[in-house]
Amino acid sequence: MVGISIKNFGISFGEMEILKDVSFSVNAGEIVTILGPSGSGKSTILRAIASLENSYDGDILLNENCLICKNECNKDIGYIFQDYALFPHLNVKENIEFALHKLSRIEKDKKVNHLLKEFDLVEHKDKQSHELSGGQQQRVSIARAIAYEPKILLLDEPFSNLDSLLREKTKLWLKKMIKELGLSAILVTHDQKEALSMSDKIGIIHDKKIVQFGTPKKLFEEPKNLYIAKFLGDINILPFALAQTFFPDITKEQKAILRVNKTKISTKTTKFTTPYILKEISYCGDYSELIIVNKEDENNFMTIRQNLEIDVFINDIVYLEFKEEDIIFIK
Amino acid sequence: MKYFNKLTISSVILTLLISIPALLILVNLFTPTTENWEHLKDTVLSEYIFNSLFIMVGVALMTSIIGFSTAYITTMYSFTFSKFYHYALILPFAIPTYIVSYVYAGMFDITGSVTMFILELLGKENVTEVYFMDIMSIEGAIIVMSLVLYPYVYLISKTYLIAESSSIIEASKTMGFSSWQIFTKVIIPISRPAIVAGTILAVMEAVADYGVVDYYGVPTFVTGIFKTWYGMGSVEDASKLASMLMMFIFILIFLEKFQRRNKRYRSSGKDFAPISKIVLKGKSNIFASIFCFLPVFFGFILPFTQMSYWFLLSYKDVIDEDFLRILMQTLSLGIAGSIIITLLAFVFVYNVRIHANKISDYLTQITKLGYSIPGAVVAVGVLNFFSIIDGYFDILLSGSVVAILFAYCVRFLAISINNYESGFSKIPQTYDDACKTMNISQSHKLRKVIFPLIKNAAFASFIIVFIEIIKELPLTMILRPFNFDTLAVYSHELVGQAQVYESSVPAMFIVLLGIISVLVLARKMIKD
Repeated sequence: MVGISIKNFGISFGEMEILKDVSFSVNAGEIVTILGPSGSGKSTILRAIASLENSYDGDILLNENCLICKNECNKDIGYIFQDYALFPHLNVKENIEFALHKLSRIEKDKKVNHLLKEFDLVEHKDKQSHELSGGQQQRVSIARAIAYEPKILLLDEPFSNLDSLLREKTKLWLKKMIKELGLSAILVTHDQKEALSMSDKIGIIHDKKIVQFGTPKKLFEEPKNLYIAKFLGDINILPFALAQTFFPDITKEQKAILRVNKTKISTKTTKFTTPYILKEISYCGDYSELIIVNKEDENNFMTIRQNLEIDVFINDIVYLEFKEEDIIFIK
Repeated sequence: MKYFNKLTISSVILTLLISIPALLILVNLFTPTTENWEHLKDTVLSEYIFNSLFIMVGVALMTSIIGFSTAYITTMYSFTFSKFYHYALILPFAIPTYIVSYVYAGMFDITGSVTMFILELLGKENVTEVYFMDIMSIEGAIIVMSLVLYPYVYLISKTYLIAESSSIIEASKTMGFSSWQIFTKVIIPISRPAIVAGTILAVMEAVADYGVVDYYGVPTFVTGIFKTWYGMGSVEDASKLASMLMMFIFILIFLEKFQRRNKRYRSSGKDFAPISKIVLKGKSNIFASIFCFLPVFFGFILPFTQMSYWFLLSYKDVIDEDFLRILMQTLSLGIAGSIIITLLAFVFVYNVRIHANKISDYLTQITKLGYSIPGAVVAVGVLNFFSIIDGYFDILLSGSVVAILFAYCVRFLAISINNYESGFSKIPQTYDDACKTMNISQSHKLRKVIFPLIKNAAFASFIIVFIEIIKELPLTMILRPFNFDTLAVYSHELVGQAQVYESSVPAMFIVLLGIISVLVLARKMIKD
């Protein structure tokens, strides 16, 4: 198995600096996600690894020793494009065997038939790409990319063209497939749920840099700053006075936060006696989303996601309820 | 070094070659004047300028009114035969302007078929009792040109209206605007860029015309170039006139770009909603139907019917061995020119695709300017260029087919490039990236991905360039080798010898070749 290291990577388009000093590693067999908002330059990293961008600073190494050539694509790398890039004039079988043109017909057929079977595409093999569903197109695209047996798979927003039901199903399938084939993979996405569920490690891009790199759990529970905390899920910032009760030395710049699903309300006084007024209740199926406003400070409001088992109404006085261990302290 | 690869170098060389004739013409703006030029300046130059400007203004007014009004009516309303007019209003494009002018002259001049018929019908003998305007005049030239060139405005305005107007009209209606208010206060202002773009294309064609103005005896820059060249034998002065005409055209291009500078043709990138057409009934239905019928009738049905009649009367006298030789010469010139241009244009556009940089973009833009230069000017530039080559290498290329083919490249590469650009815009860049990540060689990518996906655009380019070449008159007239005629030149020569009926035979072949080519193209597009 092959791993990959990106060292001090930086790239500019004209006068505009896109990324600077980006470093991270993907160990053999790992799935790493680069997470960031649209336009943050995350796809550019993938393009550089695949030698589709050549004018960058820094190094990209395979297994810590083989420097990736800037002009020639490395055969160890397979790329899944956001739009799948399936050739519309070729059918499924021809698309998959496209990269195998140097093999003999027999070898080609053997390999393609195996992949068609593996990816559940046998009955679609003669169809053109426009006759396939989004999920089928994605499977063809992956089959084509792994047909020439790369060791590393680069996935550029692979789920963005799928509807939410298919997306959930495909995420599981893709993760299983990558692990079974023993590939290393780098995935880029702007969807934090996708990143958290798919990855062994996540790197978050902010302000042209990777600001935190680590396991999903580590990033979610110990975000380095408020931006990362917010990017990975909705939060409530505890009022300074309340935060002081838990962290006496907290400064104005530091924050104590709670994930919205870890923040609850009660109609009876809890150990937190500050009264809040219930301003909004939205029923969301599995839970209800509530907005509460501090009775003494209208600028202090919180969002709560909780399965409501109590009867509450708009303008009721409610009190906060949460576990101390759920508070995340951000320096 | 990233700018210098084989494709870019090829594009640079081709662009230089193609620009040389235009540069040689432009140089003449600054050369010292000759005695002949002083004579021209004192006698006919002001007439050339006035007539050319008069034609420009006249054609601009008529084409914009006919083109936009028909586009508006067929886009917004549903009436008897409205679906037919949707396509029929483009038909005047099928007949070259000079051919329509020959037919109109044959019908409406003092001895014309229609004139004689009306005289007979009214029992009159003197033409002046019936006719108040001589068709063989500058006004006649403007009318004929406008009848053939209005589809430029029609097509661009219609495309724009279909794409833009639905939501804007609905929004205007909700604000209580009447149909007339919507038309004057909303539709016309927002359509201005489209109307101007179409009108300028029509005006550029009109000012570059040779066949109509020559036959109708209207002195313009283009006829001036011919007269100075052939009549006075002055290459320098013909080139000077050509350079002035080219400046005229460049000013038009600048004006078009200037008026478009901050305006977009689409208000948003979103898909547009279909226009819900208003169904016309009663008088307004009849009015709309007749209104759209008139341009189709005068721009296509009437000239085509008259031409067909003359064709039937005279084809036996005209179609002989010589005619077949001319037909073959026209076809071979058309096919050879189209193949060369279609291949060269691919080099330019593919270079822009795979080496997207400012140099490749500029090269393509420079090359595309060739189409805006009138045929006569291109011909003068090419002759200047080839006489230098002839002198330097002691050969004779200037009177050969090579010179014509080169001139066609200068003039028509833009058409082919536009076709490829449109074709390549439908091939996502990720296909190239996918090939690269799969380590596919350039030649394999070209063979297996690019060619199969671009072949329709290449075929369309071949057909459209072919039609343009067989229609081309002034350029071919100036550059053709001795005793080498094309159908267009032959038709012009026959009409010049007062053989109007006979001229309809080569003219009919040009029109039919055009129609057949378009049908072949349409069939292939539908099949694919």
